Amino acid sequence: MLIFLSGLFFILPLIVKEFWVHILSEILIHALFALSFNLIFGYMGQLSFGHAAYYGIGAYTTGLLMVKADLPLLYCLPISMLTAGIFALVLGFFCVKLRGIYFAILTMAFGQLVYYIIFQSYSFTGGDNGLQGINPPEMLKNIYNYYYFTLIVFIVASFLLYKIGESPFGYTLRAIRDNAERTEFLGINVKRYMHINFVIAAMFAGLAGALWGPFSRSVSPDLCNWQHSGIPVFMSVLGGPFNFFGPLAGSIIYTLLMAIVTGYTEYWPLISGTIIITVVLLLPDGFFGLFSKIKRFIISV
Amino acid sequence: MNFTFILSQFLSGLTYGIMLFLVAAGLSLIFGVMNILNFAHATFWLIGAYFCYSFWSYLNQSLSIALWLSIPLAAIAMAIIGAFIEIVLIRRIYKRELYEQLLITYSLTLILGDLIKIFWGVTDKLIERPEIIRKPIFILGAPFDSYFIFVYLVGFLVAVGLWWFLRFTRYGHIIKAAVYSREMVSALGIPIPKIYTFVFALGIFIAGLAGAVQAPIGSVTLGMDIAIIIQAFCVVVIGGFGSLIGTFVGALIIGEIYSFAILFWPGGAMVLIFVITAAVLIVRPWGLFGSPTRM
Amino acid sequence: MEKKILTIKNLRKSFGTYQVLTDVNYELPDGMIAAIIGPNGAGKSTLFNLITGYHHLDKGTVLFNDIDITNWKRHKIAHIGISRAFQVSNIYPRLSTYENVRQAVLAQQKKTLNIFTSASKLAKIETEELLELTGLIENKGIIAGVLSQGDKKKLELALALAGKPRLLLLDEPTAGMSAEETFETMELVKRLNKNVGVTILFTEHDISVIFGYAMRLSVLYQGKIIADGLPEEVRKNEDVQKCYLGEEI
Repeated sequence: MLIFLSGLFFILPLIVKEFWVHILSEILIHALFALSFNLIFGYMGQLSFGHAAYYGIGAYTTGLLMVKADLPLLYCLPISMLTAGIFALVLGFFCVKLRGIYFAILTMAFGQLVYYIIFQSYSFTGGDNGLQGINPPEMLKNIYNYYYFTLIVFIVASFLLYKIGESPFGYTLRAIRDNAERTEFLGINVKRYMHINFVIAAMFAGLAGALWGPFSRSVSPDLCNWQHSGIPVFMSVLGGPFNFFGPLAGSIIYTLLMAIVTGYTEYWPLISGTIIITVVLLLPDGFFGLFSKIKRFIISV
Repeated sequence: MNFTFILSQFLSGLTYGIMLFLVAAGLSLIFGVMNILNFAHATFWLIGAYFCYSFWSYLNQSLSIALWLSIPLAAIAMAIIGAFIEIVLIRRIYKRELYEQLLITYSLTLILGDLIKIFWGVTDKLIERPEIIRKPIFILGAPFDSYFIFVYLVGFLVAVGLWWFLRFTRYGHIIKAAVYSREMVSALGIPIPKIYTFVFALGIFIAGLAGAVQAPIGSVTLGMDIAIIIQAFCVVVIGGFGSLIGTFVGALIIGEIYSFAILFWPGGAMVLIFVITAAVLIVRPWGLFGSPTRM
Repeated sequence: MEKKILTIKNLRKSFGTYQVLTDVNYELPDGMIAAIIGPNGAGKSTLFNLITGYHHLDKGTVLFNDIDITNWKRHKIAHIGISRAFQVSNIYPRLSTYENVRQAVLAQQKKTLNIFTSASKLAKIETEELLELTGLIENKGIIAGVLSQGDKKKLELALALAGKPRLLLLDEPTAGMSAEETFETMELVKRLNKNVGVTILFTEHDISVIFGYAMRLSVLYQGKIIADGLPEEVRKNEDVQKCYLGEEI
């Protein structure tokens, strides 16, 4: 299944028009964003409504380093991850003291905080004009090359995320999700694990953001706001939060739909909102949940 | 930095605070009773403003009191819409997980936002004020938009009205009881869904009223809801979910902070507000006037 | 003077205005199987909760092997060797029985910060051993949420045992079990005590279990310990008979 998918992603750009290669890159970057979010959501059971802050921090770190310090992209990526991680280390310390709706609101408040700080630092970050002129290195200026670069980074990153999910740490996250109390009684400091997970998730979100800057040639504070934080939530729920590939499926569906629909109408919010409501009401486990149901039905028949 | 200036800022903050209170009151009520955080609350508020504009532009041909009629009309229209949405959609998410409720109310924001675009278009809507409120009045030397007197009046009425309703009327008592125990109230033969529909409609009524009151101030434009919903959340967090006093005090605090912070650090006002919101969540998550048991 | 594994002094706990435990003093010698009984509401579960850090106590001290563990955090208490099986099964309903036990084993082995190895490759032997021990080996693949009541209790025990405890607190370990399962479980408990030296403190409502296995019996009534000693003596105690008036003893 994995091999088929990777193969597909490698071959597609050769078949489709250039416009779709842009879309494919977007799908991958968004998918990485959503996969990182799902560490907190699907695996650990908490809703972070401020995850875009770390995406934005990654994007700005790379943007600033490339524009102001002329640092090669390859160095910017890990530095962006680190920066995002450091912010998550500080902010996450406070967030993990809370659960449920309070956790969600605090993450959102911190997200807005980051948004406004970036917005304010006009001289440093360009404020609401954003940062322009983030050019990828010569070799990657071609959209096809940048796509394959993104694909490779994506495959490595998602492989790492998968390994983390299947490790004892990953299972401990599930344990915390399903019965945090019991997990404490097994001797696990739940807050500490939540904090660590928060940082890891933020680092990968920062990576996704870092890939975005050179892709769209600019970054803006909007990458950090709460509406953008909603995107990975949509994607994870759409695809199915309890399957590793759920967020990827969600990204494919959402990004593709958005690309197609915005070609015909400006009312994408109306349509996406309706889709989300439908999915949440009817498909609690997203599309992957639907697949399993169909699979089981076919097997039983 | 003279007295008049400070007073001016203070009044400005007070006004902003009262406006925030009006937006947040319904939000707090709905969360307090139904445990649902209505992301779309400010969008309802905005629709109330648009409705006010529509009623006003229709009535203004013939009636001089068009504006004063449009405001309550808009609020009533919103109450009807609120009841409708509650029955059709909100009912299905009473027992759902937090993320499902948040996603659904957030999606509602998206849908309603586009519906506004469809029905009212993208241009700004301007309401011409009646003569009586066109000139500023002066309070101790500080110029003050005379319309704001009306705003204060509405804010006061809503605050007192809600308080009185919850404290002294039978239905208010039922609602308070439903907060503590849904089971008991249904066991007593009072249908919970009816109560929830009423509460939601009431919350949206207040939001619509607030929006209508807001409409003559500046203009009515798209995106006002996005700007204000987060601030409304901050109000409810700081004041305490489900607490009427908390919402009032929280709104005033944010209003004043915003008004004075702008003087020293124009861009940083929002940053300051979020720092305070975060601090409250960390140190006292149930807010100034909320109760820990609701955690 | 035998070594005391658990010493409780002047324990007091209230919930609001309701005083659940009043000046409880208790000493448990190392290596014993002891039982605490009492009518419902007497405070047994609360006592366990306080020992394991589930609640904070109002007043008093809890010593474990002479270390003051009063108001320690739960995970720290689990680490120094106190394990607990809950009255209402507190398991992971969405994981399989195998994964449930493996999680507990990995936690005990302190391998849970490992993000590099696949969990399915670790702790196989220890997990299988525990499953055998508690009679769950046949059900290891089943999702824990659908196990029978008795099996859930066995899983409870397995989770508690995975922690390699020195002191094991069992809250109604045989509730919901058939006579055969009860026998198996209590024999297991007895073997653990005899061969491994685990001290057992349990509560029960099943009289035959109490008198069949407890070496020492204490009675908790309305938040106070009213009797403490050998089971046979306690049985004859007048106060105990009075408080159980209407209930068989």
